Amino acid sequence: MRDRIDTLEGAIGRWVVPGSTVAVGGMHMTAAPMDLVREVVRQGLRVERLVTSPSASIQADLLIGAGLVSEILSPYVGFEHLGLAPCFRRAVEEGKLRVLECDEGSLTHALYAGAGGLPFIPCPPGIDLTDIPKVNPDFYARARDPFSGEERWAVPALRPDVMLLVCREADEAGNVAFDRSPFTDRLMALASKHLVVQVERIVGSEEIATRPPGVTLPGFLVSAVVVAPGGCRPTAAPGEYGTDEEGIRAYLNAARAPEGFGEYLAGHVFAEGEPAGRGAAAGRPQRG
Amino acid sequence: MAVPDPSVSELMAVVMARGFRDGEVVVMGAVPALPLAACRLARALHAPNLWYIVGGSGTVNAAPDSLPSSSCDPALAPGPCVLPLPDVVLLEGRGDALDVFCAGGLQIDAYGNCNLVAVGPWAGPALRGPGSVGLPFLPAVGRSVIYTMVHDPRTFVERVDFVSGPGHPGGPDEAREYRRDGPTCVVTPLATLGFDPTSRRMRLASVHPGVEEEEVRSATGFELANGGEVVETPPPTEHELETLRRIDPTGVLRR
Repeated sequence: MRDRIDTLEGAIGRWVVPGSTVAVGGMHMTAAPMDLVREVVRQGLRVERLVTSPSASIQADLLIGAGLVSEILSPYVGFEHLGLAPCFRRAVEEGKLRVLECDEGSLTHALYAGAGGLPFIPCPPGIDLTDIPKVNPDFYARARDPFSGEERWAVPALRPDVMLLVCREADEAGNVAFDRSPFTDRLMALASKHLVVQVERIVGSEEIATRPPGVTLPGFLVSAVVVAPGGCRPTAAPGEYGTDEEGIRAYLNAARAPEGFGEYLAGHVFAEGEPAGRGAAAGRPQRG
Repeated sequence: MAVPDPSVSELMAVVMARGFRDGEVVVMGAVPALPLAACRLARALHAPNLWYIVGGSGTVNAAPDSLPSSSCDPALAPGPCVLPLPDVVLLEGRGDALDVFCAGGLQIDAYGNCNLVAVGPWAGPALRGPGSVGLPFLPAVGRSVIYTMVHDPRTFVERVDFVSGPGHPGGPDEAREYRRDGPTCVVTPLATLGFDPTSRRMRLASVHPGVEEEEVRSATGFELANGGEVVETPPPTEHELETLRRIDPTGVLRR
């Protein structure tokens, strides 16, 4: 399988195994792999555990609203100045979603542990003064520092079965490049067993070769590349386009009630012709 | 040409800016417009060597043409230096590289604890918030500055329902594991508040122009500590306001 470029349907159907741990990339309303997420919804694939970046928005809320997520490990699901996450909020308040409470420090270090083969990792300072560990005994446990003898909180290594993420570009061999900042997506990718990468375009290997090492991932880690120009919408794609705030607002208005959310799914996710929820933004790109 | 009166957000940005000291390193999280404006204002006025990191984006000293609403707005990317987010997490844990953490919450309590998780019981909450993000790092960095656009008894509570961001833990009698300063300042639409050095309880520092002291006390869901004379917040000077409006030409802080 030298050529890792796959169709949207094929990549999601092959690599997202129902009942597994799925990680989604993207920070706040930027670089969310929305075309991949919408395809998970269309195929109705159940996610046992959803893991997000330190701050997720619609990429988590949509999956939760579609009723596909059993439990979530995330330090933040929300929409910053635009408001709270309607489906996440509703699901938790109604007791329909199990929350594995955590913070960005524990999550990030658990990913370092997963990426490096450490079985667990002690948490950075501060967490012991919060209520987080006591409501999430599945993730936090006391461990004794063998050097000082002190007890502190520790978390297990995170190894998501598959991660859905966005890069700006890929080459034919599946080498991929982020824009200037990969947020925590690159670290999460290093910890995940399989990667499905949504990109704006395919470029020549000589172009990828000019990107700095901190923003690339080698093709041997990538299970599938899906070419989906505009596929982050309504979130932003770094280096490509900004956040479609109108599109986000339309989602938030619709998702305020389950009926509206259902209509949103029908119109933006299941509708024929694959406009795939990219909102009413002008200049919507055609699928490549 | 006379500068029109400041909006509440502009006044708050000026108050926050005055509190930053030259040479400090400030870190902020989601919804960064206010602390970002404050940092840039401080740099333009009394703290030219201030450094600031915009949360999720990891950009250092970003100076976009207009104030972004989101901490990951691509407009922040052209900052002179970008820390990938895992590096920000490393430095937050290390603590000694960062001086000020700007924080907030759905609830803020008498000891400066912040709650971004749940109002009501954690299991079956009346209101589920977004989550704690980086707030557990508050006690690891030098000090924290709390800001909120809502000053009412539901936000300012005696004890938060869930501690996301630690304040002064348990008040004066509890040993403090971390020897950093903790929360030093709370900026709201009505007032600026600080903490009593002995009891560690929140107390009034100054009321904003046009606000009565009694108004602040009744908007606060707990008894504020007494101590010292309460003064009026000095209103923004013409120079402060003009400088701020050059930083915020599209008027994000006037909406």
